[in-house]
Amino acid sequence: MPLAAARRLEGWAASWARRRQGADPHAVVLKRSRVYILPTRFGVVFAAMMFAMLLGSLNYGASLGFMLTFLLAGLALVLMHHCHGNLLGAEIKLIGAHPVFAGQRAEFRIAVRNDTAAPRYEIELSHDRHSAGPVDVAPGAEVSLRIAVPTERRGWVALERFAVVTRHPGGLFRAWTWVHMNARCLVYPQPARPGRPLPESAGLGLGGRPDRGDSDFAGLRAAAPGDPPQRIAWKAFARNDTLLLKQFAGGDREPCELDWDALPELAAEARLAQLTRWCLDAAAEARSFALKIPGAVLPLGAGPQHLAACLEALALCETGER
Amino acid sequence: MKLSAPATATLSAEVSRLHWTAAIVLGATLPHWPTLPTWVPVLLAVAIAWRLVVATRAWPMPIRTLRLLLALVAFGVVLVTYRTINGVEAGSALLVVMMALKFLESRGYRDQLVLIMISYFLLFATLLTARGPLTAAYLLFLIWVTTIGLLQLSRRGPLLGLRPTAELAGRVLLQSLPLMVALFVLFPRLPGPLWAVPGTSTSATSGLGDTVNPGDITSLALSDEIAFRAQFLSRPPPARDRYWRGPTMTNFDGRTWSMSGERRGERVAASTEYLGAPTEYRVMLETSGRNWAFALDMPKPPEQRGLRMGSDYQLRTFPGTPRGTQLDYRVVSYTSYRALEPLSPAEQRLFTRLPPESSPRTRELVRGWLTDDPTPEQLIERGMDWLRSQPFFYTLSPPALGEQPVDEFLFDTREGFCEHYASAFTVMMRAAGLPARIVTGYQGGELNGVGGYFIIRQSDAHAWTEVWLADKGWVRVDPVSAVAPYRVALGSWRGALEGERVPGTVLGRIEWVRRALFVWDAAATYWNEWVIGYGPELQRALLDLIGFDGLPRAERWSKLLLLCVGATLAGSLLVTLQLAWRRRRRTAIDEAAREFATFAKRLARIDVAPRAAAEGPVAYATRAQARVPRAATEIRAIVAAYLRARYERDADSAALAELRARVASFRPARA
Repeated sequence: MPLAAARRLEGWAASWARRRQGADPHAVVLKRSRVYILPTRFGVVFAAMMFAMLLGSLNYGASLGFMLTFLLAGLALVLMHHCHGNLLGAEIKLIGAHPVFAGQRAEFRIAVRNDTAAPRYEIELSHDRHSAGPVDVAPGAEVSLRIAVPTERRGWVALERFAVVTRHPGGLFRAWTWVHMNARCLVYPQPARPGRPLPESAGLGLGGRPDRGDSDFAGLRAAAPGDPPQRIAWKAFARNDTLLLKQFAGGDREPCELDWDALPELAAEARLAQLTRWCLDAAAEARSFALKIPGAVLPLGAGPQHLAACLEALALCETGER
Repeated sequence: MKLSAPATATLSAEVSRLHWTAAIVLGATLPHWPTLPTWVPVLLAVAIAWRLVVATRAWPMPIRTLRLLLALVAFGVVLVTYRTINGVEAGSALLVVMMALKFLESRGYRDQLVLIMISYFLLFATLLTARGPLTAAYLLFLIWVTTIGLLQLSRRGPLLGLRPTAELAGRVLLQSLPLMVALFVLFPRLPGPLWAVPGTSTSATSGLGDTVNPGDITSLALSDEIAFRAQFLSRPPPARDRYWRGPTMTNFDGRTWSMSGERRGERVAASTEYLGAPTEYRVMLETSGRNWAFALDMPKPPEQRGLRMGSDYQLRTFPGTPRGTQLDYRVVSYTSYRALEPLSPAEQRLFTRLPPESSPRTRELVRGWLTDDPTPEQLIERGMDWLRSQPFFYTLSPPALGEQPVDEFLFDTREGFCEHYASAFTVMMRAAGLPARIVTGYQGGELNGVGGYFIIRQSDAHAWTEVWLADKGWVRVDPVSAVAPYRVALGSWRGALEGERVPGTVLGRIEWVRRALFVWDAAATYWNEWVIGYGPELQRALLDLIGFDGLPRAERWSKLLLLCVGATLAGSLLVTLQLAWRRRRRTAIDEAAREFATFAKRLARIDVAPRAAAEGPVAYATRAQARVPRAATEIRAIVAAYLRARYERDADSAALAELRARVASFRPARA
């Protein structure tokens, strides 16, 4: 079957499943009525081999040949039930997704929980030809997996549908279910290229203070695109593979006001990009800042929560979403 | 940003998958090694070693052109060796070659699953010709091993340990057994092959030969192999009457006796007078590669399909019946009979013919008996008396004989076994002018008390003489009875030969070993009868018992297929129930949580507010103790048991039992 036709068929089947299953809450236990199963390509070839065995046995009148043929037929049937049962009763929970900048991949974290006495093997999550896993889930255990979804523009990105898949045991069958959780991930605007300096805080009327530079180390935060490379914590990266940004206590630095109207020469999205860049720069320099955009005014503040609130406002600016 | 996993990890994962694949491939080809030309296993081993070196040393994979060339050469050699690719042996060799080449180019999941599938098919190829219960057990073991391989190599994640996989493989195979049995019994069997089966080259089939040449039966007599089994439906005749008739030797060239051409079939039986009580019995013939069947002297023409009476009262299968299959038939014989076959003068000449130059001393001896014009009966008696009077010895290792074997045996060596005596006696009778011939077959047999049947081994092979008398027809004369009467009376070599090498092993003479062997043989016989022999006839007989008799074939088949579908559904249901049962049982951790929930419900009844989401069990207990001070001790104890049962590493069942008991008796009263 050509790939396009197969995809169309799958899309049709998935939308049929969506209609009959309805939307799912953020935690579902997989019931019998929603676990589907079909032979894999290997399963079809295996069936052809069993048929060849049957013909051979008939021809040679070989009793032991019949025995092996029927043993394998029984085995295929048993494996089918094991495959189906491997999903049955598993609990799928949405953990959530950290916000990302447009162009990054949104990673939805989804947990597979096994509350039964028997282990579950080789469970995969699959979304749009990409799959996460496979993982084995011990009795009473919970394993989380990430589904990555590419993002292009700011706002919410939704994971409308993903499949929970298993081919265990034997790879003869593929059992799956479609899950439709209302999962969404916030996508911040893609920050503009660094370079444009932060605007002066003239409008705020706050007195200047002596600049003590970057000397007071205040902690680490996750690095974002466009962060100044000289402030990446490379030693920490060598330890745990995560890019972190060194932050410095800068309460003593000049606060600034980031204003939509201060960038009249830029188009709307470009303005948002620049404002995002400034928010990141200000936070990196540990300066407190205020944000003013159409539909939202965030007063002067500092710290990761303030940054997150500003970025969310930028992400949802004039999208009509919240 | 994340670094990719270290390269060594993926390498070792690949190598361990390759190790598993190699083990499965070697296991599945193992039963074929004895029949394969030597270069095939060697090719397989080289391919495996090569691929493993490629994986461990990070060598480049063999290039495509080389693999293609290798494939062409290997297929060519197989074709030249077998002249065909049809048939079990050539097909198996081809599969093993394919496996070797596939292994060489295998890169992962998909290739390895293909190899597993070929492994199953190779095991199947073995089973097409395999029969014995031990072979079946050996192959079942290999099927288990292959299934372990299937479960391992179908994993995309890291491989599991041997133990859990072996257990799972065992469990799924056990679960598929009931369906296997049901389909085995119910699936409609066809009476004939679908396409022509090329003969297998069953080399060195043992058994009686086409010729009798005193001296070459020594090896046969020492073989403990089973020729056939016989189960008497009426009272078994005594050993001295158990002459199992086989091929008859008529032509003699002075040294070797051979069979005459096909002479008469069933017509001869019409002239036979059957006397006394009939003996009815069933014969389960082992594979021999010939179309001979054996029956007690003297059988009635068989009514069984596929069986006929051929020359000289010998039972044969029809030429169409595939050789190399086991045969099971019923016959009626009469141990006393008069085979009054009329012989034409030409036939009388045929049965008295001796090569002119042969056996001058024997002729001289016999000429002396003819002086007083004796009757044929007197002549037979004189021959037997003469054998008795001379110092003849019955031995299984006679000396070699020269130019005139009969003379040398009768006058010089005087040591020999049945063929020597039968040959010499027949020559004596022919020299006296009496039509005579050698009948080969088996004599006696050993009773298997466990199975209630007789086992007739190749070591029971025997030869005797038949003399034709005008008024009595063919009369059996066994010259061995004159020399070693025990041989005939006991129906066995054992005991007939004092201190000489006896057929069978030394172990075979220990009583309990013999008994155990009998039990084993009985089991093997049931196996042969009910498993190997389960075909269209047995299926029909079985189905007639459950009310299928009288149905037309099409209807039988459709009903059978329906039953197969029903069996599959029933099997499905069974497996589903088993799986649901396995999945239903919760872990101890959850049972503890459930007990704690019951405990909390009881407290809620007396106005202790339910546990908040962020409230741990200890905080909750403290709150509850404050609220219900009278039950404080008990609440403390329950929470302690709960914490032990749920959170302690290696929690034992005692903690859970204590929790359960305490919760059950917890009846707090309102403060």
